[in-house]
Amino acid sequence: MIPFLVNRAAHAVLVLVAVSLLAFVLGDVVGDPVASILGMDATDADRAALRVRLHLDQPFVVRYGHFVVRILSGDLGTSYGAQRPVIDLLAERIPATVELALVALALSLGVGIPLGVWAAARRGDRLVGALMTLSVLGVSLPTFLTGIVLILVFSIGLGWLPSFGRGEVVRIGGWTTGFLTESGLRSLVMPAVSLAIGQIALVARLSRAEMLGVLRTDYIRFARARGLPDPVVNFSHALRNTLIPIITVSGIQLGYLVAFAVVVEQVFQWPGMGLLFLQALAQTDLPLISAFLLVAAFFFVAINLVVDLLYAVADPRLRIKTLAGAR
Amino acid sequence: MRHTIRVAATFAALLLAATSAQAQVTLRYGGTTPPLTMDPHSTNDFVTAGLIRNTYDSLVGHANDMSLEPGIATAWRSQAPDTWRFTIRQGVTFHDGTPMTAEDVAFSIMRQRESPLYRSLYGGIREARVVDATTVDVVSAAPDPILPRKMVRLFVMSKAWATKNGVEKVPDLGAQGTEAFSLRNANGTGAMRLASHEPGTRTVFEKNAGYWGRFEGNVERAIYTPVASAPTRVAAILSRELDLISDVPLQDIERIKGTNGYHVVQAPQQLIMLLEMDGTRDVALDAWDKAGQPLKTNPLKDVRVRRAFAHAVDANLIVDRVMRGQAKVVGTAAAPGLGGYQPDLDVRWPTDVARARALLAEAGYPDGFAIQLNCPLERYVNTDEICRATASLLARIGVEVRVKGSPWPEFARMLVNGPNSSFHLIGAAGNSGDSQDTFISIMATRGKEPGWGATNWAMWSNAEFDTVAKELTQTFDEARRTELYRRALTIGKDQVHAVYLHQPLLTWGMRTAVTMPPRADAAIILKDVVIRP
Repeated sequence: MIPFLVNRAAHAVLVLVAVSLLAFVLGDVVGDPVASILGMDATDADRAALRVRLHLDQPFVVRYGHFVVRILSGDLGTSYGAQRPVIDLLAERIPATVELALVALALSLGVGIPLGVWAAARRGDRLVGALMTLSVLGVSLPTFLTGIVLILVFSIGLGWLPSFGRGEVVRIGGWTTGFLTESGLRSLVMPAVSLAIGQIALVARLSRAEMLGVLRTDYIRFARARGLPDPVVNFSHALRNTLIPIITVSGIQLGYLVAFAVVVEQVFQWPGMGLLFLQALAQTDLPLISAFLLVAAFFFVAINLVVDLLYAVADPRLRIKTLAGAR
Repeated sequence: MRHTIRVAATFAALLLAATSAQAQVTLRYGGTTPPLTMDPHSTNDFVTAGLIRNTYDSLVGHANDMSLEPGIATAWRSQAPDTWRFTIRQGVTFHDGTPMTAEDVAFSIMRQRESPLYRSLYGGIREARVVDATTVDVVSAAPDPILPRKMVRLFVMSKAWATKNGVEKVPDLGAQGTEAFSLRNANGTGAMRLASHEPGTRTVFEKNAGYWGRFEGNVERAIYTPVASAPTRVAAILSRELDLISDVPLQDIERIKGTNGYHVVQAPQQLIMLLEMDGTRDVALDAWDKAGQPLKTNPLKDVRVRRAFAHAVDANLIVDRVMRGQAKVVGTAAAPGLGGYQPDLDVRWPTDVARARALLAEAGYPDGFAIQLNCPLERYVNTDEICRATASLLARIGVEVRVKGSPWPEFARMLVNGPNSSFHLIGAAGNSGDSQDTFISIMATRGKEPGWGATNWAMWSNAEFDTVAKELTQTFDEARRTELYRRALTIGKDQVHAVYLHQPLLTWGMRTAVTMPPRADAAIILKDVVIRP
């Protein structure tokens, strides 16, 4: 188990190094932070002075070296735009994004898996066919479009749900949560649904395909022959063996949900990391841009690590194999 | 019995509290971007400045029609060619209850002067001297006739408060380390006090009962929320979650007007959109002949080619089609609302394709040429469409325009670290709202004198214009100034300093119950907003 973990951790570090380099290069490409901070009509002397203070006058390699040393000492730098430590900005925004992503994930699994199982069990049913066709639409609809349609219907048309923001939040330690207030929960519905729709369809199609494969196997036939009721066979015998690919995909999905909630956050003015990132891009706020990319990469890497561990939980064979390999 | 009375009293108190909370007139409004900071001296972002103006008063007041009015200074006069004397209003207190003094004024002038963002506006100030309790003298390095106008952007902050909180100097831009206190806290003298500020999410103002001026409106509490996505912003007022929004997208103006219970208010923005053409280089950047070979000349340096462009690009058509009528065609470098504007000179070149073709032929380009038009994709309204319209309008005279769009940071970098563009679309705004600023920073020959042509990105240069602009900066006599404004605007138009296009309209959408005075600087002055029940 330990060599397996070390191996995975080494991979993770490699990915983070690559991303930090990319983030840095990107910062050089998108614009000039000095022009963004000082605006168009600053004097050349002020520009030069700021360039020196931000170390932008030094060669790329030196700057990157400074950057890495700083990150390793736990300092993500100070945002050019907000003039506040990046770590504070991220800490303020992470709860919103994480809550949104978790709810979307719960929705996509909670709706997607039963839908997929049901579709596999009732193969050939017209309604199932129609639903599966609909799910293709769900996968291919761009999130911003679903978002705007939801706003049109539920905010303007029916007036049921708020069109923007996160509502009232409750502060618990360093975390802010919208789960504990009515307006917080109401605000969460539309962003979470528009983020989840594509995922629901994806999970449903995936679990259906997996289930179809499993349902054909002998042990399922034996289970049926033993007279076990259908729900027990479907959910307890068959589903368990389809979980591996679903766990993998939903792990990656969670990463996506966190990192790419950007669009949904923009549409619903959801005060999460994605919105912060878009503002940072517009202002060429290099420290914030690179920190966001690093944090997003870190999420991906961490989630993948957890997924790898979950495999072992879901499939005993993997557990034995890695143990054997370790010896 | 006693118990009953106590219960009744508590109940009455609760009821009173409930009704007074309900009776508080609250404005919920939304704009495109969050305020970057609450420190009035450390940003020149106009959205931020528009919010801050409610909390901090400017030395010279800026009326809703953009004229000057008494503010913290009740009067000002030129004491010597390089000195302006400001009389300071008495009986003004800061939000923390301390009285505002001449010391605070002098302190604020020197503090804001140190900000690199305000170098072009206040860099010429040498000293702010407290003469007595009601008088402050501002001494400049050179005579500055428009100094009072510049002071509409000078915000007065408490010296004691700044010192106590360690922000007596403007926080360093891009500095490392801890956050400056003034970024999220405020202590001004304005009509509204800052009640709370969650960066990027919501900013709450409350009425300052001790305000020295008059409240034209009845707003007691205001909550500002940035809503970046335009369709969401529109949805937010149509679903009554907000009472007022700024920057209504062009395509939604009619929709909001047409919805029962809503109206739209507009004001021309202090901004002129123009196409700048290289006036200095001998070989134009990114220009080709018809065979696709790079040009060895700079056609745009020839005034005949510039005139040809001016006659070919039909600004009326662009305003009608691209801007959906939500802009005003301009004919000179000044626009209504800017100091020095001359209405009778504001007549645009006639659109005349035949004449444009003839001018082009005369200049030696009978078959035209090809040139790249650099186009910023954000920051201004519908720039991409304006650039493409320009391309098709110029195609009519044989000039092939290749539009190159860039996001704003990339576009800004190209100009600031160069300037590396021979032909581009850009917006011009006089920093202080006076055309003199436009003349000096955008039209005067780059680098001829310190600070000249700092934003003259196309490096237009005209010796006669420079002489007129120079005299303007030293002339106090109003009649003579008017003459000089007229002369400068005429030269700019005659020599086609740039192809002037239009002045965009700012558009606010709101519930019918809400009225607000539209301002060309895009600020919403909360004390003047009226909400009828």
